[in-house]
Amino acid sequence: MNELFLNNYVIVYLFSEAVLFLIALYAFFKDISILRFWDFNNFSSKQLKLEKQSYLLSTIATFIFTLKLTLLIYFVYMIDSLSIIIPGAMCGAGVISANSYGMSLLFVKLITIFTFLLFLTLNNLDLKAKNYPLLKFKSWVLLAGLLLIFLETYLDIAYLFNIDLSVPVSCCSALFGNLEGVNPLPFGLDIKMLLILYYTLFVSIILSLLLDNKLLTAVTLILFAVISYYAVVYFFGTYIYELPTHKCPFCMMQKEYYYIGYFVWGTLFSALFFGLIWVIIGLLKYESKVLKRITVTSLVLFVSLCSAYVLYYYFKNGVFL
Amino acid sequence: MVKIENLNKFYEIDGQKQYVLNAINLNIQKGECVILKGVSGSGKTTLLSIIAGLDKPSSGKVLVDGEPISKLPDMHLSSFRAQKIGIVFQNFNLLDGVSLADNAMVPLIASGIGLKEAKLKAQDALKLANIDHKANKTPIELSGGEKQRGAIARALVANPNLILCDEPTANLDRANSLSFIQTLKELHNMGKTIIVATHDSLFEELDFEHRVVEISQGSLVGRG
Repeated sequence: MNELFLNNYVIVYLFSEAVLFLIALYAFFKDISILRFWDFNNFSSKQLKLEKQSYLLSTIATFIFTLKLTLLIYFVYMIDSLSIIIPGAMCGAGVISANSYGMSLLFVKLITIFTFLLFLTLNNLDLKAKNYPLLKFKSWVLLAGLLLIFLETYLDIAYLFNIDLSVPVSCCSALFGNLEGVNPLPFGLDIKMLLILYYTLFVSIILSLLLDNKLLTAVTLILFAVISYYAVVYFFGTYIYELPTHKCPFCMMQKEYYYIGYFVWGTLFSALFFGLIWVIIGLLKYESKVLKRITVTSLVLFVSLCSAYVLYYYFKNGVFL
Repeated sequence: MVKIENLNKFYEIDGQKQYVLNAINLNIQKGECVILKGVSGSGKTTLLSIIAGLDKPSSGKVLVDGEPISKLPDMHLSSFRAQKIGIVFQNFNLLDGVSLADNAMVPLIASGIGLKEAKLKAQDALKLANIDHKANKTPIELSGGEKQRGAIARALVANPNLILCDEPTANLDRANSLSFIQTLKELHNMGKTIIVATHDSLFEELDFEHRVVEISQGSLVGRG
């Protein structure tokens, strides 16, 4: 057996995921029942049972979301700590790229959290009305979230099972460092253009939120998220590490850098998720000032944090990296 | 005011359905006083709880002031109950250690009314229930009849149109029971809709317009 499964972090992680899987399985069948039989105008025993069940599902979804968010942070911490037993890995970057399942798993985890956050927002709006107007839509969203959990469980097992401890993995400098003749930035950008795009998109998002333009907000948010990933890895990260050759999205989540990576990525995804949810509920003709405020705050925090490292380095050393 | 269609309430015990309420159909008009008469265990309290939104039926329609009360989400149910329904319980259910005036204010807290306004409304309700002279007393310092008046004040504080009383005289002596009935008469004259669940024979001698609905083993006897 792969000795990875004897690791304490992995045991705790898999046990927690197993519990969530079972809860999700139970919720899955209850949700299917609601989608098939819900009829609010009916006063039958079955319908009244479904109404009670919808409360149970809300509670389950809240629990799943809370645990998933915690487990995401724990997962990142776990793969970072596994870097000492996986040959070649210096941080989570090497561990996550140990096989092809790693990045897919991380991506699915993020989408799952987003889906449950969307469900909880819809649920909150739905319960403010008297006749559950969003019941069907939110139930479909919940179903998608539950299916993502099943996918995530498969990817969890596939990922951990396929880590071969006899095969060295690449460290972050090999994965993200300068490869001769290869520009790692998207759309053929250089660092200068990347930063111009980064700050321009930031301003665009703020403006689009102020102008209540849903389409512009969605497009600029998604673009900003993509650009930000590259900006953090290939520019801002180097100022966090104070080393121009150190390019890694994971090392900044280590103790040496005061776990700042969690705040950097946390604020970025917070802005992205809450912003997109604001757009989606806007399309359903609902408005939420709270979501807008969270999006703006997260965005400002993210950009400020990234820029602060650059300014701090410059004021400390008198030059840029 | 209250419209009940084909209401059923059962519990599943060892796979068997035990019916507490069985095919209840009942119509109560606005301003009516209905005495729900039945022995202990007949289902009176369960029926009253369902009308109050404190319990949910197993099936059937329950409309209170046009709202399907058993289907309202919790948030709406709480505010609906706080604004539209006043409940007088058998055991008073006053908060110990808290003055009668503060007890009377409790339904207003859920409504989000400001403290000043809530205090004024509580005073008015205590006056209406003839217990304003004991406003600063706590329940432990009051007699049964006085506690019941305090409970009535709490039930009236939000000026609800529907008053539900569950065995209101069960813990009162005859004199206090008659006093309570007098208060009910005054409320009836104010146009309130009143439903009293009781097996007290005193309610068979009411001297104001009322209707008696008998319930036995979970079913209404005769028409509702």
